[in-house]
Amino acid sequence: MKAKLGVSALVLLFLTGLWLVAAPFAIGYQPAGVAYTDVTVNDLWIGGGLAGVSFLALVVYAADALRELTRGRHVGSPTGDRTP
Amino acid sequence: MIRKFIGAVTAVLAALAGLWLMLAPFALGTQPANADWTDPTTAEFFTGLGVAVIGLAGASAFAAAIHEDLVARGLVTVRERKAEPEPEPAPAAPQTSSAELAALLAPLVEALREDLNHTARPNRQNGSVTLVTAEENR
Repeated sequence: MKAKLGVSALVLLFLTGLWLVAAPFAIGYQPAGVAYTDVTVNDLWIGGGLAGVSFLALVVYAADALRELTRGRHVGSPTGDRTP
Repeated sequence: MIRKFIGAVTAVLAALAGLWLMLAPFALGTQPANADWTDPTTAEFFTGLGVAVIGLAGASAFAAAIHEDLVARGLVTVRERKAEPEPEPAPAAPQTSSAELAALLAPLVEALREDLNHTARPNRQNGSVTLVTAEENR
């Protein structure tokens, strides 16, 4: 249950990263046809980094969960991990 | 276990990024001093606040999941809270001490009562001289 909450947080962080990348153009504080402002550059870097790292973490989580499913439960783990 | 650890680390990094986002308009100087917040400042500040809160929540959730996993594997033991001592003996103490005091003083009170009763009869009774008559005969 707690791990599922964490995964949900990662998904939200990924979506927020995408929002940050789009915000300068969506809200309109990056004028069209003009060089990127400091604010835009900051948002693109932070948003892109956030989305990328969150996506990577989600991929690693899914891959590890799939590997555990195919290998079966670990010895000595009475409850195991039932999250997909 | 490793995936939860990676998730926790990612969430912590996201929380730090959120804090940076909240500070960026003032750190980079894009928000003029003593002026109303601009649209970029408002967007960055509240987005950063959301990212920081979600990152913190995610890190806490993953940390709790890791702790749960370690307890299930027997690598971490959970301490049971000791029951706090009850404060009841403290107010009961004066009552017991007064009862004990009464029990200790009872023979003295009885002796004084007998002494007062025997002051009207100065003769010896049972071979014993009362304290008051002894003092009067000095």
